[in-house]
Amino acid sequence: MKEITSSQWKLNLGFSLFMLLLIVLLMQVSIQLALIFALSLALGFTLQRSRFCTASAFRDPILVGTTKLTQAFILLLAISIMGFAVVANGAEILKIPLKLNVFPLGIHTIIGGILFGIGMVLAGGCVSGVLTRIGEGFAMQMFALLGLLFGTAFGGYSSPYIRSIFGEFSGVFLPDIFGWLPSVAIQLLILLILWEVTRWWHKKQNGVG
Amino acid sequence: MAIYQIDIWGEMCPIPLIKTHRQLKKMSCGDILVLETEHSCTSRAIVLWAKENGHEIDEKEVSNGIWRLELTKRHD
Repeated sequence: MKEITSSQWKLNLGFSLFMLLLIVLLMQVSIQLALIFALSLALGFTLQRSRFCTASAFRDPILVGTTKLTQAFILLLAISIMGFAVVANGAEILKIPLKLNVFPLGIHTIIGGILFGIGMVLAGGCVSGVLTRIGEGFAMQMFALLGLLFGTAFGGYSSPYIRSIFGEFSGVFLPDIFGWLPSVAIQLLILLILWEVTRWWHKKQNGVG
Repeated sequence: MAIYQIDIWGEMCPIPLIKTHRQLKKMSCGDILVLETEHSCTSRAIVLWAKENGHEIDEKEVSNGIWRLELTKRHD
């Protein structure tokens, strides 16, 4: 590993300096923009270093019986549910307006989910995975990016039409119905059940595990 | 003890994983399978899978973005 890191330290330093200067420049334009950029930089770095693959989390249990990434994904959901509760309540206390993306759901949501899943496995990665690997220089994923851009644009323009065909139920926001604490508890309980299901599945697939 | 190598160069998840799976079935205990990939997720997935299945695996990043895996089959 050492010879790899030493051969690239000049590039690393240059790139880091460039990013730092870019953030400083963005801060002159808008602090919000600079913060978003810094956050996305951190997110990208984490994604690349962890080599986390969402596609793998859903595909591997069925394909080869490994559930480690699925469990990581469940953990990720649990952390973000609790984090989101903290952020939403904190915003309320501090009187910061919060825009929630609670979308209506319908049959098209499920169909879209299945289509996305198929696309994810065919493309060899989910959206973040594709972007990460393009950054790493995996040229094959450029095709996936093209499909991604096309699909997003097409979906964006056609969604009002699709929604009107299938009809939809209004979005459900659990804290509005149960209150914050019970809804977080319910979600965590469901995740715990899913966690146990993955453990059971792993044992079933691999014999004694 | 034999050393095998399969070509998974340029292939994306999950094809390398399936190929490894199949190749391993043909091999006997103690045999070594050498794999090289430039797909970061592939390498990760194979390492995870091998470890969970009780096979021995050695992962090395031989160059930037190129991983070399040595998988030793430990059981049938």
